[in-house]
Amino acid sequence: MRKLKWIIILIFLTCITTNTEARIYLDIYGKTFKKITIGVPSFKSETIDRLRADMSELLNKDLDISGFFIVAPSSLLDRELSDEGIEKQEIKFGNWRSIGIELLCKGKLQQKDGEIILEAYLYDTIDGSLMLAKRYRAKSEEWRKIVHRLADDIVLTVTGEKGIMSSRIVFVAGGRSQKEIYTADLDGHNTKRLTNFRSITVLPSVSPNGKYLAYTSYKEGKPNLFIMDLEKNREIHVERGEGMKFGTTWIGKATLGFSHTSGRYSSIYTFDIEKSDKRLILSKEGIYTSPSFSPDGTKMVFVSDMYGTPQIFMQDLPSGNIKRLTYYGNYNTSPCFSPKGDLIAFVSSIEGSFEICVMNADGSNQRVLTNGSINDSPQFSPCGRYIIYSSKRGGRYNIYMMLYNGEGKRMLKFTEGDAEQPKFIP
Amino acid sequence: MKYFIILITVIFIFCGCAPKVVQLEQPGATGKEGPAFGKGEKEGGITEEELARSRQERERSMLEEMKKSLLKDIYFEFDSYVVKADELPRLKEIGSWLKNYKDIRITVEGHCDERGSAEYNLVLGQKRAETVKDHLVKLGVDEKRIKTISYGKELPLDPGHTEEAWAKNRRAHFKID
Repeated sequence: MRKLKWIIILIFLTCITTNTEARIYLDIYGKTFKKITIGVPSFKSETIDRLRADMSELLNKDLDISGFFIVAPSSLLDRELSDEGIEKQEIKFGNWRSIGIELLCKGKLQQKDGEIILEAYLYDTIDGSLMLAKRYRAKSEEWRKIVHRLADDIVLTVTGEKGIMSSRIVFVAGGRSQKEIYTADLDGHNTKRLTNFRSITVLPSVSPNGKYLAYTSYKEGKPNLFIMDLEKNREIHVERGEGMKFGTTWIGKATLGFSHTSGRYSSIYTFDIEKSDKRLILSKEGIYTSPSFSPDGTKMVFVSDMYGTPQIFMQDLPSGNIKRLTYYGNYNTSPCFSPKGDLIAFVSSIEGSFEICVMNADGSNQRVLTNGSINDSPQFSPCGRYIIYSSKRGGRYNIYMMLYNGEGKRMLKFTEGDAEQPKFIP
Repeated sequence: MKYFIILITVIFIFCGCAPKVVQLEQPGATGKEGPAFGKGEKEGGITEEELARSRQERERSMLEEMKKSLLKDIYFEFDSYVVKADELPRLKEIGSWLKNYKDIRITVEGHCDERGSAEYNLVLGQKRAETVKDHLVKLGVDEKRIKTISYGKELPLDPGHTEEAWAKNRRAHFKID
């Protein structure tokens, strides 16, 4: 009898899981996908008038940046639509359908003891079904966080994977001869300067466990590679050898991959910060640089000029075999593995401009994602669906984000000056 | 040829006719050494002191020449760290200066234009500096006297975005330590 009960529960659970899988509205890994039109009328609130408008506006912006939605402009929503209640029985889904809205997000806002509480509901206008109902709570001044969490949950509901609007990034900003490292929320707010060396500091990246920051700085006169403990806010390791050292790739939780070029030779090392264990992976005459490791740690892509121009190569780490991946053009650099290990993003010179491209991990199916100017430093988001990069337009470097297939390019504005070399903070 | 010009300059200095030329070469030095030349105009034997002074003066002006010669950069083609054939005479000249002045140490800075990736340019700049150092070492300069550093595309000489600006930025620059 007991066994039977368990079997019933198990069957029930399987039903639920298959059900949720079936609810994925958008398969973004297909060749193309149609964007979903979503309507976000102003949240309801009795007390906080200003904030509710700001919050719905930010949610619209977040959903737009995600690349999966067409956000209905507020001009499309007449009085009747905006004044409607938020409960299912109060909503006339036919009206929403008639203006082309497929998903509808409604919310109610309350303020209590310096906290705000947002109750959010997501409806499918076809059958009026409730897809998401969630309550969010935060300090009043952190209202942006609530919106980002809601946006990420909407993306999760629709695509089956969480959105990235709650992410933070690290980047380089500043002018000629003075560059510092900054962090910021992906929406451009909450910008903080991490370094104040009044020198050139470049190529920052944060370890997958979020504890360590690696960067190369000229603050001691020559370009040295530093590793900083972000929790204790102090340097814990420095590479001071002659020549050029930098590393922007990580393996496991806290192992940095970096390259060192000095004299005739270039070497690629890994450095396990917690075990203080430095290992030589490769050392050869010429340029061998910009390593990036596959998520399982068995493969390394890197840039070398062994055939005269910079090209991307892959080394199978157990066997040591090296295979050339790029043949098109005379300039292919900055390779970066996707978190699933199936794609490699890189920079390629095409007809005088430098474009962000992706290829399969075996070098096949190379495609160009940007169009013109100087694009640099591509990196996949931790979920693998987005690529963040820097792009020069009109003499200025800015940070951009796009879907991994090149759609939905958006400039992310962080500072007044140039911003470049972005990396997600895991 | 150069020695000849220097000799002429030195002769002029001795005659006391060319304080303005000296001023052009090294302002400030004239004030210190100027009055001493007056003695040289006296008829009679040239003293040891005067000979030493003239030797010093010659060395100083040659040093100035060398510094001036080091001010000029060595230029490179895009994405290349091979020294162009037309830059070789300049490297030879710098090499012979360095061989004459054995107590001088230099740093070769490698720079790139803004095109291409920031990472690769940092390495390319290093290679440009190393290649220039290699040439100087081959010419007989002690390698311990030459340091290298790369600034990639981080310190452009010309902030413009034209081929002309890029050409100026793809360079190896010398600094006396």
